[in-house]
Amino acid sequence: MTSTTSLIVFGNDKKGVKLRNRAKRRDPFESALGLGGIPGIWGKVVRFVIYAVVLFIFAGPIYILLVNAFSAVPSPANVSLIPTNFTFDNFAGALNRNVFTYLGNSFIVVGFGLVLQILVSVSAAYALSRKKFPGMQLVMLLILSTMMLPEEILAIPLSLVLADVPIIHVNLIGSLVGMIVPVGAWGFSILVMTEFMKEVPIELEEAARIDGAGELRTFWNVILPLTRPGLGVITIFGFNMIWDQYMLPLLVATDSAQYTLPLALRSLRSDETLGIGVVLAGAVLALLPSLIIFLCMQKQFMAGLNSGAVKG
Amino acid sequence: MSATLEVPTARRLSSGRRPVASPAGKLKRYVMPWLFLAPALVLFIVFKFIPMIDAIRMSFYDVQPYLGDEWVGGENYAAVFSDSSFLGAIGNTVILAVGTTAGSMLIGMVLALLLEGTAKNLWVIRTAVFIPAVAAMAVVAEIWRVLMYPAASGPMNSLIGLFGFGPSEFLNSADSSMISVLIVGIWKSAPYDMMIILAGLAGVDRTLYEAAALDGAGPLRRVWSVTFPQLKGVLSILITLAAIRGLRVFTEVFLLTNGGPNGATEVLMTLIYKLGLERGELGIASAGSVVLLVATVVLTVLVRAAGRKKKGAS
Amino acid sequence: MSGANRINKGLAIAIAATFAVTLAGCSGNGGGAGGDVKQDENSALEVWIRKAPDSPPAITAQKFVDAFTEKTGIPTELTTIQDGFETKLEQAAAQKDLPDIIINDGAQGGNMADKGLVRTIDRSTFAADDQVKPQAWDQATMTDGSVIGVPVNAQSFALFIRADWRKNLGLELPETWDDLDEMARAFTNEDPDGNGKNDTSGWVIPASTERGYASWYFSTFQYSAGGDVFSGEPGSYTPTNAAPETVEAAQWIQDQFCVDKTVAPGAITMDTSPAHQAFEAGVGGMYFTGPYNMARFDQSMGADTYEVVQLPAGPSGESVSLAEGENVYLMAGSENQAGQDAFAEFSVSTEGQTILMNGDEEGNIVRVPVNVDMDIMDAREDERWGVFQTAYENAKYVPAVPNWTPFRQMQAEALNTIWADCGADVQAAMEELDTKMQAELEAQGAGA
Repeated sequence: MTSTTSLIVFGNDKKGVKLRNRAKRRDPFESALGLGGIPGIWGKVVRFVIYAVVLFIFAGPIYILLVNAFSAVPSPANVSLIPTNFTFDNFAGALNRNVFTYLGNSFIVVGFGLVLQILVSVSAAYALSRKKFPGMQLVMLLILSTMMLPEEILAIPLSLVLADVPIIHVNLIGSLVGMIVPVGAWGFSILVMTEFMKEVPIELEEAARIDGAGELRTFWNVILPLTRPGLGVITIFGFNMIWDQYMLPLLVATDSAQYTLPLALRSLRSDETLGIGVVLAGAVLALLPSLIIFLCMQKQFMAGLNSGAVKG
Repeated sequence: MSATLEVPTARRLSSGRRPVASPAGKLKRYVMPWLFLAPALVLFIVFKFIPMIDAIRMSFYDVQPYLGDEWVGGENYAAVFSDSSFLGAIGNTVILAVGTTAGSMLIGMVLALLLEGTAKNLWVIRTAVFIPAVAAMAVVAEIWRVLMYPAASGPMNSLIGLFGFGPSEFLNSADSSMISVLIVGIWKSAPYDMMIILAGLAGVDRTLYEAAALDGAGPLRRVWSVTFPQLKGVLSILITLAAIRGLRVFTEVFLLTNGGPNGATEVLMTLIYKLGLERGELGIASAGSVVLLVATVVLTVLVRAAGRKKKGAS
Repeated sequence: MSGANRINKGLAIAIAATFAVTLAGCSGNGGGAGGDVKQDENSALEVWIRKAPDSPPAITAQKFVDAFTEKTGIPTELTTIQDGFETKLEQAAAQKDLPDIIINDGAQGGNMADKGLVRTIDRSTFAADDQVKPQAWDQATMTDGSVIGVPVNAQSFALFIRADWRKNLGLELPETWDDLDEMARAFTNEDPDGNGKNDTSGWVIPASTERGYASWYFSTFQYSAGGDVFSGEPGSYTPTNAAPETVEAAQWIQDQFCVDKTVAPGAITMDTSPAHQAFEAGVGGMYFTGPYNMARFDQSMGADTYEVVQLPAGPSGESVSLAEGENVYLMAGSENQAGQDAFAEFSVSTEGQTILMNGDEEGNIVRVPVNVDMDIMDAREDERWGVFQTAYENAKYVPAVPNWTPFRQMQAEALNTIWADCGADVQAAMEELDTKMQAELEAQGAGA
């Protein structure tokens, strides 16, 4: 039993990974389609064509975004591959409007909010996935139902709650805390983590329990590590969701100094005196952090699981 | 990153605790799940359920935040149902919901399969492909509006012209506006789904691929018989999300066509926006949203029940 | 099993408790806003203005409130909100804590008044009553005669034409609508920018239904053709979109789309943002818009590339621009009503108006002054502003109904449809529009 359980540990197969890297041979079975494994020039060509098409479709329009963000007067009628009248003015214009304050606020809100959200969601998912109790389906449905109403409708009722939180009678308006705490509740994270945790075989849990591990230990050392991909997903999407939040910061902020980036960008957009270039520049700045997180998270769970994790 | 997380074995625990069977232990076992659920429940009740219940209450009132709400019973609902665009909006909502979710799941799956792997350049490509999912919808709409410029010189028209297809009006004609909105919706959501599927693919047992190959299965066969069964969890997530988010389709329609031309792309949410939010009639907006909520709940229950049946059967 | 039942029970109790707490705590959002609020003549005035934070107009607004405080000694706190303004206002209303002053569009006034958010103005006791142009007062007056705000800004619209294109093709400034047609055709077909490509158009039209832009654009043409949305007195209106004058105007624009094909592509889904870009980037050469674009176009195109003229007279023989305005609204429940009055008086005074006009710089809040004694060229040197002042003298505001938004939306949708579908029957569409508007008038209690 011990040897099997220890195989689940990631990074344990260091020797295997080293060997594979040294051989520099593409493992044809590291992916479902095995594209990496097609040898020689034929493989290179196939992969090149596929990647080029995919990039063209999905990154092409983004490239246009970049080009226009650096153009002085982007034309709405056609696209050019290089900026017309290359300029940094758009970015300067976006930065001019106190962007660093907003960025700072956004980072604080996301930093704390994401941690809270992950902790809350993972704990809840553990209960929902590993424990069988009647009413579980109902709780799950209730949680999912919170994603079904548009946020504009909930705005006023939510603002009333924020101004006077029931029972503890605290006013969350006007401080960044008010933007952080409500964010901890997100049905998506719970949904994803529940599904990923369901996949962990029951035998492992029983083994741990027989070995004497308590509830918390089982949770932390057995289930959680096996759901790394799920954690990666909720980190990326959670970051994205909190970063892009509009309604909550709008309701909480009493002064523009408390704005987060999306709020500021929307204002840029409705300001008719600014050219579209500034708006695009702002959008480029806004999506950079999400991309960076994505890059980091990819590393996390991609590397971990491809080194021979064994299921049950 | 190379954290050695190990399951505590009998050797490590010196206290030699044995599985508990005492009443105190039993109580602990039943309370534990609720302890784990507690933080979520508290946050959800305060910040989600209470506002939701209030919103449902609002649907029966003429909402006047300052003067005080007035009870109007079912009048708000009547206003929504009797609007001439209501039935059309339902139809369009269903078409867009099904189209966008099916399209993005399909393409997300294709993308995930194509971009799976540990090669360094794949990380970059995956990141580049993921950008649509994180770019602000408003900006995505602007870019696509430029790409779908209706004249023959427009970028998309030039592209499809290469394949011999005539220039299209895209967003500006009632015939092509739906497809155009669908394209943008799928383009933005597919990388999102790709991400989730990649996470699922990462957990598939690689030795099974090897075994299948030894049995003579080609790549496509492998995908079908090995990968798909193991993606059940991920697919379940996607389908649930599709049910929840599908009927709520709004932003891309609002920004690209605002329901036009002539209601060709009018969906429930744009209708709610026009009848309710734009006029400051929160009661009507709430009523429309409750209709949406009920439909979505029903749909979600059906979808998840079907999913569980399938799982039980297989 | 007993444990499971316990859990089930626990769940049921939790849900019931949630319901109870919610329904108890929010029983109809309790009424009774206002009544008599204790007055404090020294309490700070909370002022909200609908401008983007940190934008040039926001800076002007700050200058303005600072000048007010310096002059009167009443402290002020300025909050600039653009996006989400309505939401913040509703939030303040729900918390029964409105700001003292709001500077907002005139078109929003009826809505706010309907919700009980504003304090009506008694013109007989308002010190600066005769300083304000009567035409401006009219737009702040509701159908029941109550005045809901003090006008602070007036605005009209004019035609922006690509001067370089016009001169390249040797055309004169248009003086009739036929001239406009000719110019539009020339801009579309005769390669005015001389680049050898067929990529220019005549008209740039924001014909989207978003925020009723199609209707907003059409108003000037409807008025100049001799038509109007309603006939009759405020409070007893009858829709007249199907009258020959309006039909003629709508048909004229439909012909631009369908017969002459002189409208820049994409107009059907354009709101003003892409429309600004279309003019800037040389996609179209004729754009009917407001003075706030001059600063932007000067920078992106150069002031010499375009010229600003009043719209030529239409079939009615007159050029009647749409008029818009912003008002200083005195909000209900204020602790410092004397301060509110003083603020309103300062806003319409020559001194206040001058600050808000901000000369020829960008960041102007007042476009055409509402003060009867002021001429727009007193504070400005750029002669193009004179065009807007002249246009304002004969301009018309939207009808005085409690809530203009639904009407605007209906008209926009009807227009958007007939302009997008060349086979559409304009007369029939306008008749259908009138029917819809009639129903809405009755719902708002403003019909004949």
